[in-house]
Amino acid sequence: MGVVLLVGTRKGLFLVHGDDSRSSWTVDEPLLTGWEVFHTIRDPRDGALYAAANNFVYGATVLRSDDLGQTWERAEGLGLPEESELKLEKAWHVEPGSNGELYLGAAPGVLFHSDDRGTTWTVNQGLLEHPTRERWQPGAGGMCCHSIQLDPSDPQRMYVGISAAGVFRTEDGGESWTPLNKDVAADFMPEKYPEVGQCVHKLLLHPARPERLWQQNHCGVYRSDDRGENWERLDGNGLPSGFGFGLALDPDDPDTAFVVPEEADENRVTAGGRLGVYRTRDAGASWELLTDGLPDQAWTGVLREGMSFDADSVYFGTQGGSVFAIADGDRWVEAASYLPPILSVEAAEWSR
Amino acid sequence: MVQVVLPGILAAQAGGRKRFELDAATVEDALRALPVADLLFDERGQLRPLVNVYVDGRDMREDGSLGMALAGASEVRVVGAVAGG
Repeated sequence: MGVVLLVGTRKGLFLVHGDDSRSSWTVDEPLLTGWEVFHTIRDPRDGALYAAANNFVYGATVLRSDDLGQTWERAEGLGLPEESELKLEKAWHVEPGSNGELYLGAAPGVLFHSDDRGTTWTVNQGLLEHPTRERWQPGAGGMCCHSIQLDPSDPQRMYVGISAAGVFRTEDGGESWTPLNKDVAADFMPEKYPEVGQCVHKLLLHPARPERLWQQNHCGVYRSDDRGENWERLDGNGLPSGFGFGLALDPDDPDTAFVVPEEADENRVTAGGRLGVYRTRDAGASWELLTDGLPDQAWTGVLREGMSFDADSVYFGTQGGSVFAIADGDRWVEAASYLPPILSVEAAEWSR
Repeated sequence: MVQVVLPGILAAQAGGRKRFELDAATVEDALRALPVADLLFDERGQLRPLVNVYVDGRDMREDGSLGMALAGASEVRVVGAVAGG
């Protein structure tokens, strides 16, 4: 089946259509022009598009489209309660929940849920009032809740990743949240291994082995095989750097993961002056560099929402406006180029 | 009646409509009557700081801000702050 990539950029949303082989691509005219589109999904339950969008004048919002982006309905009254003394800063990530719910991750380190297809949103009090919140700090992108992972084996269990607060898990449907940052480094803090304050850049759960989590962190690449209780650092096994943002998995193989290392937090460009994706097929014990079809010289970056995957391929978009996909074997094909700086890539399937 | 004129990004969020004819006593009344009021005001009801409003070419901040009376005015123009990039 073909694929549509939902490519959010600093200047609108682009739908990039790929064929069955992932070798032939077309780009539609932009949608939501004027908005920075931090993340977009197509809800597999009803086909609706949801976009987390931000504008430096007009604020943060979530929009729903039931006609593949031709018209959009904006969320009503999205914001934080006055007693929190916080204001909504940015909308970051939309995730389908169970029983028709939707989740929205946002800054400053907050999670919302919606029971009415994104029209109204309720903030999660457990995270909003988390006893460790005063120790959370914003990263360069703000204090963003960017990763929301639901456990398919237990609807009461889910995970969030917040930068720079760390990974948190709930076992009671969001009532309470436990920090899960043991042995995850926070090299920028006086205490290198605090309870909270880690700068997780992206968190993913393997859908076929939900006790296994992967995270690309500010300070390393990690894997957990026990629902986040313990983490093993993996970037010393052949990655040029532990710093990066994008992360992708193979839904058919829990031992496979993809990352795009950057030089360092003080020099956020692709490592070694080239665009390369590193893949592990042995759960992070070793990494191999995939470059076939990618430029030899590049000083660009792949942001935290800039990488996606499905059963057939891996996709990523760069801050230079290029989108790449694995077409066959280990060969990358440039699916789109000269787009505005890319903030997010999400794979969705549908027939035109 | 006063005519409120929206920039393109807000008009797109108002069903494609750029101009609204309204009965409003003040600038605030006019802005809150718009279908994009949530994009002009934050969750505390405060005007977002980078939203500029001109009444017949005069910056509302020079004459009462949101409380500026619209008696005799013909046009309220909403303009987002200008920035590069």
